[in-house]
Amino acid sequence: MTLYALQKAIRDVNRDPAKRSAFFESPTALAAQYALSPAERDALERRDYCALYAMGVHGLLLRPFSILHSVSEADYLRAIRGKG
Amino acid sequence: MALSFACALGHAPGILAWREAAPAEQRERLYQAFGQLRIRLDAARLDCLVLFTAEHWANFFLDHMSPYCIGRAQEFTGPIEPWLKMERVTVPGAPDLAETILTACQEHDIEPGFSYEMQLDHGTMIPLHFLTPDMKLPIVPLVINTLAPPLPAPRRCFLLGQAVGEVVRRDARRIGVIATGGMSHDPGERDHGRIDESFDRRFLETMTRLDAERLKNYTVAQLRAAGAGAVELLNWIALGGALEGARGEVLAYEPVVPWATGIGVMAFNVMGTS
Repeated sequence: MTLYALQKAIRDVNRDPAKRSAFFESPTALAAQYALSPAERDALERRDYCALYAMGVHGLLLRPFSILHSVSEADYLRAIRGKG
Repeated sequence: MALSFACALGHAPGILAWREAAPAEQRERLYQAFGQLRIRLDAARLDCLVLFTAEHWANFFLDHMSPYCIGRAQEFTGPIEPWLKMERVTVPGAPDLAETILTACQEHDIEPGFSYEMQLDHGTMIPLHFLTPDMKLPIVPLVINTLAPPLPAPRRCFLLGQAVGEVVRRDARRIGVIATGGMSHDPGERDHGRIDESFDRRFLETMTRLDAERLKNYTVAQLRAAGAGAVELLNWIALGGALEGARGEVLAYEPVVPWATGIGVMAFNVMGTS
């Protein structure tokens, strides 16, 4: 059950300014702080919204995370619908 | 009479944050309905307000989720969202009423969690913005888990509402009870933008009659089929439990496409239910 750690990482980036700047500086270093599977780490580092959604990240965590990176609603929906 | 006011209304962030995006006629009909609620609330001269409400990962996370959490704080602040186009304010709490509700819940064989520290997000602050804009009326927020499965069953939310209703009816204070959130919407999910208008209208009709059996017999899956956010109607079902003997009136319903949600506004005639 590493989905919990994945969602915790995303929530921390969304809510904690220090974690957020750490992620913007080095997604790899931030991801290394959480007990993630290799696939989860990869999806988080690359901000692969399609994969993160498919892994089960809650929409109300993932959409705010995408907004931090100025992803438009249309692009976000295309990604999580697997058409992007 | 202690149960002095009751209503249900949506809390979509677009109501404030993206108000210009909505068609003017829809927005005006909703704002007028909110205005009518405020007139009724003012006329009820309330001492405090209990809210069946939702939050969106504002306080609680998967490290500790409870099905229901009652806010016992002396005061609450919100909204936490800087983009909501609403000033961050402090709202007084009503910890003694919160404690009375907790005790009554135990008597009804239901044990909510509680918190002495809770921040409010748009789920509570948008309704307060329209109902009590001076933010002086003491509140007891009662947050139902609408985020992380398993969610509490509708019949349990109804039971929770019955406990609250009983407390409110025998309390000497003039108390209002409201539900926030819903209706059909799927925020952050694949069907974002889809609004199941016929589901919403059927649900409003059930709330108008306060059909206890139908409200209790909803399943989370039936609510979820109208979108991930439609499970916030658990708040409305809890309100239904608190309002036995009352009748509802739909003041407005609008499926607002640019806000990606159906928004219902209801008032309830609570005269004679105490």
